[in-house]
Amino acid sequence: MSTEPREPQPIGAQIEQAFDYRGYVTLSRRDGSQLVGFVYDRGPAYVELFDEAASQRIRVAVDDIASIELTGEDSAAKAQKIWERRKGALEPPETSAWGDWEDREDRPVLLLVALPGELRSVADVIGARRHGAVARGRVGSVSAVGLAVGMGGGAAHVIAAEHPRLVISCGLSGALDPSLATGDWVLASSVCDDDGESIAVSEPILRAARRELVTGGGPARLAEGEILCATQVAATAAEKRALARPGRLAIDLESGPAARAAHRAGIPWLGLRVILDPLDLELPAFTRQPHPSYIVPALRHALGGPRATAELARLGLRARTAHRSLAQALCRLAPMFGPRFTPASGPTLGPTSGPTSGGIAPVEHAS
Amino acid sequence: MGIPVSQMLAVARYVVKQRVMKRDRYPLVLMLEPLFRCNLSCTGCGKIQYPTSLLKQHVSAKDCLAASDECGAPVVSIAGGEPLLHPQITEIVAGLIERDRYIYLCTNALLLKQKLDAFTPDKHLSFSVHMDGPRAQHNFSVCRDGVYDIAVEAIREAVRRGFRVTTNTTLFEGADPERMRGFFDDMMALGVEGMMISPGYSYQKAPDQEHFLRRERSQRLFSKMLASPNKAWRFNQSPLFLQFLMGKRDFECTPWGNPTYNLFGWQRPCYLLQDGYAKTFRELMEDTEWSNYGRASKNPRCQDCMVHCGFEPSAVDATFRSARAMGATVASMVTGQL
Repeated sequence: MSTEPREPQPIGAQIEQAFDYRGYVTLSRRDGSQLVGFVYDRGPAYVELFDEAASQRIRVAVDDIASIELTGEDSAAKAQKIWERRKGALEPPETSAWGDWEDREDRPVLLLVALPGELRSVADVIGARRHGAVARGRVGSVSAVGLAVGMGGGAAHVIAAEHPRLVISCGLSGALDPSLATGDWVLASSVCDDDGESIAVSEPILRAARRELVTGGGPARLAEGEILCATQVAATAAEKRALARPGRLAIDLESGPAARAAHRAGIPWLGLRVILDPLDLELPAFTRQPHPSYIVPALRHALGGPRATAELARLGLRARTAHRSLAQALCRLAPMFGPRFTPASGPTLGPTSGPTSGGIAPVEHAS
Repeated sequence: MGIPVSQMLAVARYVVKQRVMKRDRYPLVLMLEPLFRCNLSCTGCGKIQYPTSLLKQHVSAKDCLAASDECGAPVVSIAGGEPLLHPQITEIVAGLIERDRYIYLCTNALLLKQKLDAFTPDKHLSFSVHMDGPRAQHNFSVCRDGVYDIAVEAIREAVRRGFRVTTNTTLFEGADPERMRGFFDDMMALGVEGMMISPGYSYQKAPDQEHFLRRERSQRLFSKMLASPNKAWRFNQSPLFLQFLMGKRDFECTPWGNPTYNLFGWQRPCYLLQDGYAKTFRELMEDTEWSNYGRASKNPRCQDCMVHCGFEPSAVDATFRSARAMGATVASMVTGQL
C-alpha cells in the first residue's frame, strides 16, 4: 500500500465535491484565512455558502480559494447509516410529532381533564372555543390546549402529538382527607395508582405551583399531598375511608396515566384537583359509571323523588363551586405557562410559605 | 366534492393566456419549500438531509409570498420538510389565498389535527396528506408505527370541518397493485376530494436506494393499478398524466412547469434535481440550460423519472395543445376510464 500523499484535486473538482456534500466544509483562502460553512451553490467564478450558524450567506471568489475540505458530518451518510441500522424496525408510535425540534418556543401547555364540564372551566381560562373534547387557546403569548380524555382516559398519544412544555392534569375529585371541603385545591406531590406505583412531581415544579397558588390572596384553601388514581369511582363515604391513608388527600381516575405519559416523555407535569365531594359525602349511584355526559343519568336520578332531586340540586351547587374554584386555580397557575418559566431557577420558598405535605395550608382562597 | 370549478377555470384561463402570449415556458405549480425540517425520516426522501443549523432555518412568510408574486403560477404546492412545523405557515397560507392562489399544503398529518384551528376552510386551500398506501405499507414507508392511523384521523377531522383534503401517494418497488386499489377505495371512503399518485424519484441522498421504480416497472405497476378504475376514485391529476404513468402516452419532461423555491433560492432545474440555484425566477427561466434535462437529453438522472412535477405540466400543456387531447381528457373525466 502506497504511503505517498495524494495529489490534491483541482479546485474545480473540490468545489463540485463540496457542493454535493450534505455537511459543513472548511474553505481555506489564499490569504491564509479559513471559513466554515455549507456550500449551497457555485458558479464559474464563485462559491456561495451559509455560515456555520446558517444565518449569513457568503460569496467567495473561486480565485481566492486555496482548498476546500469536507470537515463536517455528512448528513446524508448519517441518515443512510441510521436507516440501515434500523432497517425494518419502525420508530414507536409515541415518537414526538415534533421530531427533534424541541427547542421551539410555541410548545403549548396541555391541560388534561376527564369531563366536558371540566373542559369548560379550562376553556374559560385559556379563552378558547371547544371543538368536541378539545379547546385550543392562549394564555398571554403561550398556546394552551385543553383536552377531555374521559374518565380514566390515557394521555400518551396526546402528549406525543402535542409535545407540550408542561402537562397539567386537573379536574374535580373526591376527598380522602376529612378536613377537605368542596372547592378546596389539592396540589399533588405524587400520584399513586391502585397497584401502589407512585410518581412524584418534580420539586421545582411543585415549588413554583405552590408559589403561584398561594400568591394573590382571597379565600382559597390549598392542600398538598398524594393523589390516588383509582380505576373506579369511590362513591360512598365507606369506600373513600377504605382508601384513605395518611398524606393521601384525594382520589381521581385520570392523574396516573397523565403523570406516567408525561414522565416517560420527559415533560414536566403537575396534578391539581379541586374537591367536589368531601370524605363523608355520599355520591348518587349514577356517578359510579363513566358517562361522556352526566345530564341524562342525573335527570333520571332526579325522577326518583323529591329527596333525589334535592340531593342532585345540592350536588349541582357543589359542582358549580368546584368548577369555579378550578378556573381560579388555573388562572393562578398561568405564570407557569410562559416560555421563560424555568422551574429550577424559581425562588425557593421556606416550609412555612406554603402548605405542609399532607395537610391543609394556611388558608388563602381565590374568590 | 371534486376540484372546485373556480380552480379549474383559473388554471384553464392561465394556460390559455400563456398560449395566447406565445410563451413556450411557463410555470404551472410553484413548489414552495419553506423549510427542510421534518418530523419524520422517510425511507425514500432525499429532501431533509442537511446539518441541523440549516434545518432550523426557514423561508420567511414575506419571502414565500414574494416568490409566489415573482412566479405567478396559479397553484402553489407547499412542501418541505413538514410545512406545519413552519412558525408562519398560517401567514403564508393567508397571503397566498389573498393572491387568489390555489394551495396544496402537503403534510404528513402528524400535526394536522391540532393545527386545524389555525386555518379556515377555503376553496383555495387543500390539505394534501401524504399517504403511501395501506397501513403497513405507509408506516413502513415513513419508518414509524401508527402514522397511518394518525393521518386517517386527521383527514376525517379536516373533512368534517369542511376543509378540502386530498392525498398524495408515492409508490416504490414492491407496491402491490391489488392492495393499492383497496387503498384508493379506503381513501375515497374517508371523503377526500381526490388523490394524487406518482412513482418516487431516486433521490441520490435518500437512505433507501434499492426500492425506486424503474420506468418499465412503473408503467407495469400503474397499468395494473389503474386498469378498470373504480367509479368512486377521483384523481386530482390530469387523466393524460395517469395514462402516461400507465405507458399509454409518452411525454417529454417539463422541468420548468413546477419551479421550486426554497432556502437556497430558485432550484435548478426542477423539484428533484439540485444543480444550483438562481437568485430570481426570471434568472431560473432564462439562464437554465433546459436542453440538459429530460429523457431526450440522455441525462442519466432523468431516464427513469416519471414524477408528476415534470410530467403533469406536460400533460396539462398537451391537453390545451390539440382538440384530440382535450377530447381525451374530457372523455376520461366523464367516463372515469383511463
